[in-house]
Amino acid sequence: MCGFAGVAHSDAQGVAPEMLARMAAVLRHRGPDGYGYYAGARVGLAHVRLSVIDLAGGAQPLSNEDGRVLIAYNGEVYNYRELRHQLEAAGHRFRTQSDTEVLVHAYEQWGEEMLARLNGQFAFAIYDRRSETVLLARDRFGVRPLHYAERGGTLYFASEIKALLATGDISAEPDYAGLDEVFTFWAVRPPRTPFAGVRSLEPGCAAVWRRGRLQVRRYYALDYAEVGTEAPGALAEIDHLLRTGVDLRMRADVPVGGYLSGGLDSSVTCALAAAQSPYELRTFSVTFNDPQFDESAAQQAVARSLHTRHAVQPIHGSEMAEAFPDVIWHTETPLVRAAAAPMYLLARLARANGIKVVLTGEGADELFLGYDLFKETAVREFCLRQPASRWRPRLFDRLYPYLSGDGTSTAGSRGGEFWRRFFLDAGPADDPLFSHLPRFLLTSRIKDFYTADMRAALAHADPLEELRASLPAGFRAWSALNRAAYLEMVTLLSPYLLSSQGDRMAMAHGVEGRFLFLDHRLFEFASALPTRSKLRGLREKDILRRWAAGVLPASVAQRPKQPYRAPDVPAFFGSAGRPAYVAELLEASSLAQGGIFEPAAVAGLVRRAEAGRAKGVGESQALVAILSTQLWHKQFVQTPVVPPTWTLGRADVALQDEVSVAT
Amino acid sequence: MTVPEILERTRAYVRENFLYMRPDFPLGDGDRLLAKGIVDSMGVAELLGFLEAEFGVMVTDEDITEEHLGTLNAIARYVAPRLRRTDAA
Repeated sequence: MCGFAGVAHSDAQGVAPEMLARMAAVLRHRGPDGYGYYAGARVGLAHVRLSVIDLAGGAQPLSNEDGRVLIAYNGEVYNYRELRHQLEAAGHRFRTQSDTEVLVHAYEQWGEEMLARLNGQFAFAIYDRRSETVLLARDRFGVRPLHYAERGGTLYFASEIKALLATGDISAEPDYAGLDEVFTFWAVRPPRTPFAGVRSLEPGCAAVWRRGRLQVRRYYALDYAEVGTEAPGALAEIDHLLRTGVDLRMRADVPVGGYLSGGLDSSVTCALAAAQSPYELRTFSVTFNDPQFDESAAQQAVARSLHTRHAVQPIHGSEMAEAFPDVIWHTETPLVRAAAAPMYLLARLARANGIKVVLTGEGADELFLGYDLFKETAVREFCLRQPASRWRPRLFDRLYPYLSGDGTSTAGSRGGEFWRRFFLDAGPADDPLFSHLPRFLLTSRIKDFYTADMRAALAHADPLEELRASLPAGFRAWSALNRAAYLEMVTLLSPYLLSSQGDRMAMAHGVEGRFLFLDHRLFEFASALPTRSKLRGLREKDILRRWAAGVLPASVAQRPKQPYRAPDVPAFFGSAGRPAYVAELLEASSLAQGGIFEPAAVAGLVRRAEAGRAKGVGESQALVAILSTQLWHKQFVQTPVVPPTWTLGRADVALQDEVSVAT
Repeated sequence: MTVPEILERTRAYVRENFLYMRPDFPLGDGDRLLAKGIVDSMGVAELLGFLEAEFGVMVTDEDITEEHLGTLNAIARYVAPRLRRTDAA
C-alpha cells in the first residue's frame, strides 16, 4: 500500500523527473519504504512504496515484459493469487510475486473489464503505450483515494491533492460549494472536492485519458435487490463470506494487526484474524478519560478473550488539539467532528509497535443497519403514519434515552418532547432524503456562522437538491431503510469515514487499513437480505449477531451498539490547556483571511466555549468546522505546498524514455 | 413582573445565547424555537436553567413540553402565573 501520482500530456513534450519527485515527496508518508518513477514523453508516473507483499520484488512503477504497459498502484487486490492462476493458464509469464504485476497482466488480458474481477481496495493508473491511454480506477467503495485535475491539456493525478498542488501548476482555490457540502453532509461528495478544479474519482468508477480527453464511467453501482424472506442457508453463507474475507485480508508478508473498538464489528474481525494469524495478534484501541466516550472495559474483555497483545492510545488531555493541524494536513478537508484525531494517534501507535497493516470493522454498520440513524428512520416513518398518536413518538425515548425527559440527572436529558418534535418535523416521508434530513438540518446550522460574502457566493447552491438529482434510477423502488443505507454509503462512508477517519489517518503514519466488511461479496449478500434480517424491531445487525453468538462471548455478541464518538469542544476548550494556534486562528484578523466565517459570530461561539456552555451538537460542530476550515485554509490556500524532495533518496525504479526531456 | 417584562428578558436571553451568530434573525414571539432551529436539546436544558434562575420557577419534567415552552409567548404564559404564586408565598 502506497501512494502514487502522475501527469499525462496531450503531446510528446516530455515529463521531467523533477516534477514527479515533487509529487512523490509530499506523499512520502504513504510510502516510506521505496520510491520510483517513470518519466516518458507523454506520461509520467511516480510511486512511493509501503512494502507489504513481495517485499523484494514489488517496486513500482512496474511494467509488463515488453515495457508497453506500466502501472502505479496503491492498495491491495486480495484475490491476486487466484487471478494469477487464471492469467498463467492464459499464457502470461510473471517475474515477481506481487499483486501489482497481476494487475498489469490482467489489464493486458481483459482491458478495463478487469475491474469486475478484482476483490480489493485499490486505486491505480495504468499507462498503455500501445494506445497512448491512461486508465485511472478506484475500488468499489472508495477505500483508496484518487484525485485529478486538468490544466492546459495536461492531466494531473495523485493519491492526495497535495501532490497536485506540489506541481506548482495547480493552484489551491476553495470550492465554496464543496465547502458548503462539508457543512451539510460532513464531507464533500465526489467528484467534487473542497478545491476548485480538483476532482475525486468516484468510488466504483474508472476514467480513461485519451488524446487529451478524460472520460469517466461507472463500473460498479450499489444495488439493493432485497428478497422477501431470509434464505435457509444465510447463516452458513455469512460464515463463509466472513471467514474467506478475513483469510484474503490476512495475506501479507508483514504481521497484520487489528483495531479494537470494543463493539461487535471489530470484535468479529479481530476474532477471525486471531484464529488465522500465525503471530500473536496485536490489537489497538483508543481510550478516553471521559466515560461518555470510553469503551475500555469492553475492549479489555475482548482482548482477553481473544488472547491478543493489546495496546491503548489514551486521550486524556490536549493530545487531540495538538494533533489537529496535522490531521487537517492529511484529511485535506475541513471536518465537523474531531473524531479523526484519535484515529490519527491510533495509527501512530500501531506504527510505533511495528504494525503497518490493520484490520478494522468499518462498513458493518452500513451493511447490516447498525447505526441509530436507521432506527431513527424506522421510528420516524412509524410515527408519521399515525401523526395523531401520542405514544408512538415515545419510541424516540427508547432510541435516544439520553435525550428523553425521564428527569434523571444530566442537563441534556430534559426536553424530550422537544427533541421528539425535531425528528417528526424534519421532513416528509416521501422525500428521498427523508432518513438523513435530521442530520443534514442539524449539520447545516454551521452555516449560521457564514459571512455575508459566503452566503452570496452560495446564493444558488443547493446541496440537498444536487444530492436528490444524483440518486440512481432504482432508488425510489428500494425500501426506506435501504435508501437510508445507500445515502449513508455515498454521503458518509466513502467520503468521510473511509477517507478522513480511515485512509488519511492511517496513511499519515504509513499504516494500511483493511476492511473485512467492505468485501463486495459481503456487501452484495447484505444488500439482498430482507430488512428484518438486519434491523429486527430496534435490534441492529441481527444476522451478524446471530452468527457471532457462535463465535464470540455472549457479552460481546449481544452488546448494544455504542457509536464511536470523541470529545469535540472539550478537545480544544477543556481544562488541559490548548495549543496557541486555537486562539490565533479564531481571531477576527485570521478569520477575515478565509472570509468564510463571520468574526463577530465566531467571537460569540468562543465566548460560550470558554464558559463551558457550548455543549450542544450545533455549537460543537460549528466550532470544529470553523477551526478545521481555518487550518485547511492556512495550510493549503494561504501557504504554497513545499515538496521535501530530499526525503526521497535514491529511486529504486528510474525508468525514462529515450526522448529529449524538457526540464 | 408583567408578561411583557418576562417576554423581554427571555427574548434578550435567547438572542444573546442562541442567536448571537445571527443578529439579524427575525425572532417573533410566536416562533417555534425548536422547529426554527433556534434551540436544540442542550439549549432546552440551558433555557430551563435560565428560567429557574431568572424567575425562580421550578419547571417539572412533565411541564417540559412544546405547549409550555415552545415559543417565547408560551414561556411567558407558563412563567407568569407561577411567578405570582412565588410572590404570594
